[in-house]
Amino acid sequence: MAPFPLSRAQRPEGAAGGKAKQLPPARTSSRQPCERVAAAPGFRVRVAAVAEGGAGAARLGDTMALRWWWWRWCGAPSRRAPALGSLPRLRPPGPGCRSPPPPAPGAAVCHFTQRSSTFSFPKICNIFWRCSKTASDEKYQDPFQLGRKDLKNLYEDIKKELLVSTVELKEMCDYYFDGKGKAFRPMIVVLMARACNIHHNNSREVQASQRSVAIIAEMIHTASLVHDDVIDDANSRRGKMTVNQIWGERKAVLAGDFILSAASLALARIGNTTIISVLTQVIEDLVRGEFLQLGSKENENERFAHYLEKTFKKTASLIANSCKAVSILGCPDPKVHEIAYQYGKNVGIAFQLIDDVLDFTSCADHLGKPAAADLKLGLATGPVLFACRQFPEMNAMIMRRFSKPGDVERARKYVLQSDGVQQTTYLAQRYCHEATREISKLRPSPEREALIQLTEMVLMRDK
Amino acid sequence: MWGSLLRRGARGAGGLRGVASGGPPWSQVVSEAEKIVGYPTSFMSLRCLLSDELSNIAMQVRKLVGTKHPLLDTARQRSLAEITELIHTAFLVHRGIVNIGELKSCDGPLKDMQFGNKMAVLSGDFLLANACTSLAQLQNTKVVELISSAIGDLVQGIYYENSKSSEENCLTDDIGISTWKEQVFLSHSALLAKSCQAAMELAKHSAEIQDMAFQYGKHMSMSHKLHSDLQPFVKESSSDTVAFSLNSAPAVLHQEFLGREAWIKQIKEAQGKGNIMDYKKLQEAIKAGKGVTSAIDLCRCHGSRALAALERFPPSEARAALANIVYAVTRFP
Repeated sequence: MAPFPLSRAQRPEGAAGGKAKQLPPARTSSRQPCERVAAAPGFRVRVAAVAEGGAGAARLGDTMALRWWWWRWCGAPSRRAPALGSLPRLRPPGPGCRSPPPPAPGAAVCHFTQRSSTFSFPKICNIFWRCSKTASDEKYQDPFQLGRKDLKNLYEDIKKELLVSTVELKEMCDYYFDGKGKAFRPMIVVLMARACNIHHNNSREVQASQRSVAIIAEMIHTASLVHDDVIDDANSRRGKMTVNQIWGERKAVLAGDFILSAASLALARIGNTTIISVLTQVIEDLVRGEFLQLGSKENENERFAHYLEKTFKKTASLIANSCKAVSILGCPDPKVHEIAYQYGKNVGIAFQLIDDVLDFTSCADHLGKPAAADLKLGLATGPVLFACRQFPEMNAMIMRRFSKPGDVERARKYVLQSDGVQQTTYLAQRYCHEATREISKLRPSPEREALIQLTEMVLMRDK
Repeated sequence: MWGSLLRRGARGAGGLRGVASGGPPWSQVVSEAEKIVGYPTSFMSLRCLLSDELSNIAMQVRKLVGTKHPLLDTARQRSLAEITELIHTAFLVHRGIVNIGELKSCDGPLKDMQFGNKMAVLSGDFLLANACTSLAQLQNTKVVELISSAIGDLVQGIYYENSKSSEENCLTDDIGISTWKEQVFLSHSALLAKSCQAAMELAKHSAEIQDMAFQYGKHMSMSHKLHSDLQPFVKESSSDTVAFSLNSAPAVLHQEFLGREAWIKQIKEAQGKGNIMDYKKLQEAIKAGKGVTSAIDLCRCHGSRALAALERFPPSEARAALANIVYAVTRFP
């Protein structure tokens, strides 16, 4: 793919990876006809697929998001953002449903800003449509229905792993395994296990060890939640009080440690050293993600790469590595392991991006936890980082982590005025698209379709 | 360190030191043991975990994976020793967390406490995560099982410690010595005992040897705890009385002999005006009873059982050093 050439004024210093110059101020000129086309949401999404650039992207192996970031930096940040409802939905074509035709290639090329573009538009469209078409004509599958049988006793089985004699400690450990969580991660794991098994030898059965991985993933996730709530001094989650709120911080930390040790024990019992290594990596990533969150970067572009890395470590790593683990158990082909890992990673990042969006758009009751929580913790998430492009005055607030009185409210207003939410949602869509593209490489099956459907659900969720 | 010593004890040969009734002091025993193992075993700084040199060494040693070179065994068992230390330290750090709800204004600004908690949780988690990663690198599922269950035991043990300390204002726990031993096993012995066993498993020793290592670890650490609980009661200098835990071994044994009611009466008498505990008075009361002597007996009993476990290993310098450790913790003036 040809690099995306920039005019001299906007070209960053050095090659991708070098430090960027002082950024040009956001354009406020009156809108030209070409800008209107450039602002059309569908168009942006497709162009992002080929834009190059991104410092630090190679580290994550994740050029897509940083391409998007660079494109946004160089493109005309429009103050009149498209309404949320007008976002293109990447639905897998159902029976008889035809995807809308792409816009005329010639028109797009000449309208896209005064910069010369050397990429070929028809080629992009080709990639896009090819990807949509691999989502086959199979019927709509509800992921939760498919996985239900395997996950029916998930929480009971988790509680059985938590063998502890003290009543109170047991109560604390069991607190979040009440069946009211989304069970999103075990769902993905179980579906991925089936999809990989089918791909390998047409077996739809989930092995006991694969089911263990689902249980372990949920336990590791919950242990990290318990500790995160102590770290953030949170007082509500999933619509009820947190463990530290009820029993105090000391016991809460112990409960988290115990759940982790039980997960580790279950992991050892699977008896596979590769699986142990894969899932232990998650534990390390979770902690490193927390540390990343503590630090902050001054440079805007480093900030975004930093945010993506933190998102991967804190959220996506667990999903990616558990998918990889079940694929290792189900199929010996390393290509399949990579597919599973990539699917998990992309869905995980998308999931977190939408979570960050919901922090701005949803209200506390519906979410089950306080809204605008990220700002209050001093965290600059996706919507904030995009909004900062349009409102450079947010830089100072980000650097001081919204600590001054009134910062949180002001930042929130800026974000809602800007297109930060939309941009982050677009990005999440791109990740989901990538996940779909990866999983489509597996043999067709109801589980594969369910996994594709799941990416849609990630985008559509409201809590 | 214990693991490395045990490993050498199980393998090597050497002279056996004569059994002495007195036994050398603790610090001498430790420094001699360190000489045998070959490195100071005090806690490695956090920087070490992230240093390049260490990862270089690790990279080189990794090349030995799949070979039969004995250095690999040593490296893995050293790694296990470090893992045990990491876990122990992680929980020391986690023990330092405060309950926000119980803070008083004299404890200082709230956000300092919250920040301290945050750092404690994160540092402890960081150490635990590193322990887990290193465990995974040992490529032995049985070892991971052992150490994970040891962590679970440790958590439960610390939980009991916490519950007790919160009640110290009112009364002591109504527990007998056997319950005390169960709780101390969880909070003090489990980690050491299971990691000794794991060291044997890494070197592929038989189940019998593994059990002996476990027994040594368990009884030795039990003696160590009893020894440390007895210190306030056996020190010769009576001028400065140190506060002691009302749930320490001598106190628990004293309560068992005296009966709960009489013990509570003694505590109340020692509390005096304004609920300030007169530890000297209470100490005298305990010394007057049978608590101290029976605690010393218990300590020696566990010491003998540790030595008995050591008998199964062939004589060597390392075995002698392990025996000396037992002598040091069963030594009373």
